[in-house]
Amino acid sequence: MKMVPPWRLNQLLERIESGPITTERDFDLRILTPKLRSLIKEYDLKFDPEQIVPSDNSLADDLWKAAWDLYLDVGTLCLSNHRRILFDESEIKEAMRFNSSEITVGAGRDARRMEKREIEDTRFPHSILSPDITCDEEIFTPYTIAYLQEPLADGVCAPILDTIEGLPIKSGSPMEVKGSIAHAMMFREAARRVGRPGLNLQSVGTAESDAAQIAVSNPEWGARPTDTRFVASLAELKIDYSLLNKMVHYHQYGGIPGALFGPLFGGYSGGAEGTALVGIAFHIMALMVNQTYWSLYFPIHFRYSYNTSRELLWVLSVTYQALARNTPFISLSGGFTDAGPCTPMVLYEAAAHGLASTVSGANLWEIATAENKHKNRATPLEARLACEVGYGSVEEGLKREDANELVKGLIAKYEDKLGNAPLGKMFQECYDLKTITPTKEYMDLYEEVKKELGDMGVPSI
Amino acid sequence: MAENALIERLKESIIAYDEDAARKVAEEIVASDIDPLKVIEEGISSGANVVSDKFESEEYYLPELMLAGEAMEAASKIIMGGLSKEKRDEMEERTVGTAITATVFGDIHDIGKNILSMLLTVNGFKVIDLGRGVDSMEIVQRAREYKADIIALSALMTTTMPSQKEVIDILEAMDTRDEFIVMVGGGSTSLLWADEIGADGWAEIAPKAVELAKELVEKRRRG
Repeated sequence: MKMVPPWRLNQLLERIESGPITTERDFDLRILTPKLRSLIKEYDLKFDPEQIVPSDNSLADDLWKAAWDLYLDVGTLCLSNHRRILFDESEIKEAMRFNSSEITVGAGRDARRMEKREIEDTRFPHSILSPDITCDEEIFTPYTIAYLQEPLADGVCAPILDTIEGLPIKSGSPMEVKGSIAHAMMFREAARRVGRPGLNLQSVGTAESDAAQIAVSNPEWGARPTDTRFVASLAELKIDYSLLNKMVHYHQYGGIPGALFGPLFGGYSGGAEGTALVGIAFHIMALMVNQTYWSLYFPIHFRYSYNTSRELLWVLSVTYQALARNTPFISLSGGFTDAGPCTPMVLYEAAAHGLASTVSGANLWEIATAENKHKNRATPLEARLACEVGYGSVEEGLKREDANELVKGLIAKYEDKLGNAPLGKMFQECYDLKTITPTKEYMDLYEEVKKELGDMGVPSI
Repeated sequence: MAENALIERLKESIIAYDEDAARKVAEEIVASDIDPLKVIEEGISSGANVVSDKFESEEYYLPELMLAGEAMEAASKIIMGGLSKEKRDEMEERTVGTAITATVFGDIHDIGKNILSMLLTVNGFKVIDLGRGVDSMEIVQRAREYKADIIALSALMTTTMPSQKEVIDILEAMDTRDEFIVMVGGGSTSLLWADEIGADGWAEIAPKAVELAKELVEKRRRG
C-alpha cells in the first residue's frame, strides 16, 4: 500500500533550515500578494454569485493549475527561522504519487475508513463532529457524550477546556499540560461510556502548545496511535517550529496527523478567488510541510468567522472540485455558521454547508456556530443536520446543478442576516444535561426546519 | 493651484496603495515649500480615510490596507524629514496618540492585530507593533519606553486570554496602571471579560476598536 507522508522527513527538516531568509512583511505583501493577483488575472478566475456550486470542470482545473504555480513560486514561510521552504515540481509530484488516498482511523469495530472523495461521489462523506469551542469544565462529559452518541459520527473532537479544577488554563503554562491530560482522560472515558471505545477521538483541543500535545500521547488513557491529531498552519501559508515539533512527534509516535488551515477571506488572500487559490495551495503544503494524511479546511470571513455566505460556499465548492479532479488528497470541509444553536438560521446554514461540501467532493467536519467565539455555544443537533443533508445528497445522487439551486434557496433564507445573526442558545440550554438529549424546543425546531428543507427539495436522511 | 494638484496626487497615490508614486510626489512637495500641515491633513489623512472606508466596505482587503499604510508612511517620512525641529514638534503634537499593539504570550494568531495596527496608523496614531506571542513584561517595558497612550492586546483563544490579564497585573504591580489605556480584543474576548480583568476598553472588530481608541485618548486628555 502506498503510504506517504512522511515524505523524506530528514530532507524536509534540512530544507526548513536552508531556504532563503525572508521577512514576514515581504512574504505577505511582496511575494504572496503579487503572485496571487497575477495568477487570478492569468487564469481569468472569477467568482460568480449565481454559480455557488459551479458545474464547470475547466474552472476547477484552472484553479488547480494556478494553485500549483502559486505554491511552487511562494512556498511556505517558517516564522521561527524566517526562512522560506521551497520545493521543485518533481518533489511535489513524487510525494503526490505515493500519497495515500485512503486511511483507517480509530480502532477495532469502531475503526472507519477516511477516503478522498470525488465530485458527486456515491460514497458517503466521512464525518467528524465537533463543537469547536470552549466549554464549562462541569459540563465537559455530558457535552462530549452528546457528540459521541451521534450515529453519523465517524470521529469526534471534544470541546476545549479553559479551566481545570476551577483554575484557568493558560496556553504555554504547566496548567495547559495538566488540563490537556485531564481532557484526554475524560474524553477516552466518555467514549467507553457510550460504547464506542475505539472511535477516532481527534486529540486534543485543549493542548495548543507542542509540549501539551506531546504530553497527551498515551495508548492507555490518552491519544492513541489510531487517533487523528492536528498539525495546524498559520495564515497564510506559514508554519513555525512548535507546529513542526508536533508533526515529528506524531510520525514517530504513530498517530494520524491532519493539517488544519482556514484561509481568511478579506485577509492576505484577498477576495473569493484568492482565498480559493490559497486554500488549494495549503493542501499541497499539508502534504509537503505539515506532512499530514488528511486536512481540515475552513476558509472563513476575516471579520465574522463564518463560511456560509455565497462567496465562501463558492470557495469551498471550487476548492473541493479542484482537489477531487487533480489530487489524491483526503480533506474535510469545516463548517462555520454566523447564527448560534436553536435558531432556524443555524440550521439553514448547516444544511447549505453540508450540501455544497458533499456534492463538491468533501468529507465533513461539522460544525462551529455563532462565529466560533462564544463558550458552550454549539450542539450536536446542527452538526447532525449538516451530515444528514450530506448523506441525503449522496443517496439522491444529487448533481452540482441541482445542488447549486438548492444552496441558493437556502442562502436566500439567511443572507440578509449575515454579520448580524442571532446568537442562539448555549448547549446546556439546548440539551437536558441528565439524559443528554435535546430539549423539546430544539427538537421541534429541528423537525420543523427539516420538513421545510424536504419541501424545498433539500435531501436528507 | 499647482499646490492643490500635488496634494491631490499624494492622496491618490495613497488610495492606489502606490508607494513609489507617494514617495515621488512627497519629494516634489518638499521641494515646493507647501505648508506641511495642509499636506498631512488634505493629502495623507484624507487619502487614509478613503482607504479606511474602502476596507470597511470590503472593496479593499488586508493587502491593499497594508500597502496603502506603507505608501502613507513613506510619504510622511519624506515630508517630516524636510521640516525644522519646531515644525516637527508641532506635527508630533498632532498625532492622535501612541499605541503599542501585540498578540499576547502563547498566541500565534495575529491577523486581527495586524488589521488593528494598520487602521490605527491610517487614523493618525503612532503604532509600535510588537508582533505575536509577546511576553507580558516585554509589552509593559516597551509601553513605558515609548510613553504609549494605549496598550492594545489581542488574543484569539480562550487559553491565551489570561495573558491579557497578566499584562494588567504587571502594570498594577509596577504601579503604572494609570499611565496607560489598556484595550483588549480578539476572537474569544468580550466586554464582560474586559470588565472582569479591569481593561479600559474592548471592541468586537478592528474598525470599532479604532473609534474606541480615539474616544479613550480624547477622554484621557480632557482629564
